[in-house]
Amino acid sequence: MRDQRGFSLLELLAALLILTVVITVSFTAFYERTSRLQQASEISVAYQVLANEAEHRRRVEFNKLENETKFRSDVSLLAPLQPYATVVTVEQTKPGVRNVTLKIRWRNGEREASLALVRVDTGATNLW
Amino acid sequence: MNRAERGYSLLEVTVSMAVFGAFIAIFFILTADMRRWEKRLPVNFLKNPQVGSVLVRLRRDVVDAHGTNPYRNEHAGYTASPQVLILETVKSDGLRTVVWDFRTEGVVRRREYNVGVSTDWVARGLPKELQAFEVGAVSTNAASWATEIKAKDEKGRLAIHQIYQPRATVDPASK
Repeated sequence: MRDQRGFSLLELLAALLILTVVITVSFTAFYERTSRLQQASEISVAYQVLANEAEHRRRVEFNKLENETKFRSDVSLLAPLQPYATVVTVEQTKPGVRNVTLKIRWRNGEREASLALVRVDTGATNLW
Repeated sequence: MNRAERGYSLLEVTVSMAVFGAFIAIFFILTADMRRWEKRLPVNFLKNPQVGSVLVRLRRDVVDAHGTNPYRNEHAGYTASPQVLILETVKSDGLRTVVWDFRTEGVVRRREYNVGVSTDWVARGLPKELQAFEVGAVSTNAASWATEIKAKDEKGRLAIHQIYQPRATVDPASK
């Protein structure tokens, strides 16, 4: 009688295979969701700092814009992303116009967020 | 007695348990790694639309702020403090004085004054995990004025830190 002889190895393997597929799919979905939420949190932190730095760079005199490795604004918000690196690149595209690109890299350079600002030498206020 | 009747040997059961154990171990190691990273990060304010709407509206007031120094110390019984911001801002039909009041936990009140008449905009239900809002005027590059807003999460970690610079004000240093 079947109830007395138990399951065959084939039945057991099939059951384990189904269980493994279900667990793997569930875990992958869970991992992907958590990973993306975490990435979203990291990016929201990075872009807050980039936006703050852009506000500072709007006020830097046009002739004093230059390449730097440190941000001038407060970067304490970036503490959870340590170790991270910041870069400021200034590129003159034409006379009186400079592109200021702000970058933050973290997770050993795997992740990067950047924000570009175009500054124009208006000769008046240095806001733009 | 055939194999199905005699069951499994100790070795077979041990190997099965070991494979399943390895699977569970991988699951826990990856989960623990994710949790460790998650704990390092503050609360993501973008998950809370109420907070986002407060920041967007505050930014608009500051960007449109009026004058060399648009911040006021007092207005209509309000006194500027780390929880109260008073500034003059420009609308399409004229100048307004706006008071941002963060003194009540979970509530942010924006009161706009137009020739003595006030209009309220209130954001309620701000999440408990975002507390201790601080807002105020800060100096950027020594001469210009910006608004800085900060908030901490329930573990005391800085979750919001934003600086908004008025666009229409004249930088005294450039005169």
